[in-house]
Amino acid sequence: MHINQIRTIIESEGIIFLTYGGILSQTLITGMIDALEKEAEDNNLKMGIANNIFTIFIELTQNMMNYSSRHDQDSEISTDGLILVAKEEEQGKIKNYLLHSNNVVSKDAKEKLEDKLQGVVTLGKEELKKKYRQVRREGKDKHSLGAGIGFLEIAKRSDKMNYHFEVINENQFYFNLNISIMITD
Amino acid sequence: MKNLSIEQTKYTPQIDLDASKGEMNFFGKSYPENTFEFYEPVLSWIDKYFRKHAKEETIISLEIIYFNSSSSKLFFDFFDLLEENNDEHKITINWIYDEENESALEAGEDFQDDFENLTFNLKEK
Repeated sequence: MHINQIRTIIESEGIIFLTYGGILSQTLITGMIDALEKEAEDNNLKMGIANNIFTIFIELTQNMMNYSSRHDQDSEISTDGLILVAKEEEQGKIKNYLLHSNNVVSKDAKEKLEDKLQGVVTLGKEELKKKYRQVRREGKDKHSLGAGIGFLEIAKRSDKMNYHFEVINENQFYFNLNISIMITD
Repeated sequence: MKNLSIEQTKYTPQIDLDASKGEMNFFGKSYPENTFEFYEPVLSWIDKYFRKHAKEETIISLEIIYFNSSSSKLFFDFFDLLEENNDEHKITINWIYDEENESALEAGEDFQDDFENLTFNLKEK
């Protein structure tokens, strides 16, 4: 594949930011957030909306670190995940920011994720707020890495959220999570 | 009791815990990957402060611009610890937010509702 083909996709899809595979670390995530903060500033995004984008991006990357095998030595984590941030424009005006994540999960992980996500994507805004606070209260003093509250955080801060799995083989699946944040005046 | 200061980074807040003044200040962003390990010394310091060294009044100010969900859980535990000490000590919490930062205001309102026994003020910057 010629690198120009990648450029064509990036430009036609409005991709601002794309990260694939390799090593994820706190330092790298912070660098990516710097780039997103620059994007928000250049487009005069409202602080509340910009913070929602940053928080969702952080949840996606940190979730991905938690799913992947851990390299304890230096807290750098190798992943096969893909995250991209794109914007949808209409007549030169930004309508939505889109965040997508894709990574490979086992059959076990898929079942756990489906359980958690089914209880999240069906809820309305008010129900999400209530559920978020309930889960936070119940999780008091529990320091698990469980993504339960993470998905609620994402759903609470976004306008649309959906997920799907694609079969790779009998024990491996692609896990896709798609999030949309509306830009209002 | 020795004061505890933790320098701000791009992903963790400036933290200044001052036992002699009875002041605790938090300012910045909070999205460390290892949230509980990061805040553990802070929670231990606060626990020790209320057990032996608390001033007549303790004022806690937090201006957290944005934070990840594990920090949100951590702040819940933090306010819970404050609530446990609220009967014996006078504690005031100021949750400071920028007027344009709706998500920070909303987070503050939720904490205020969750901890009705605490003096929890929302303060626009």
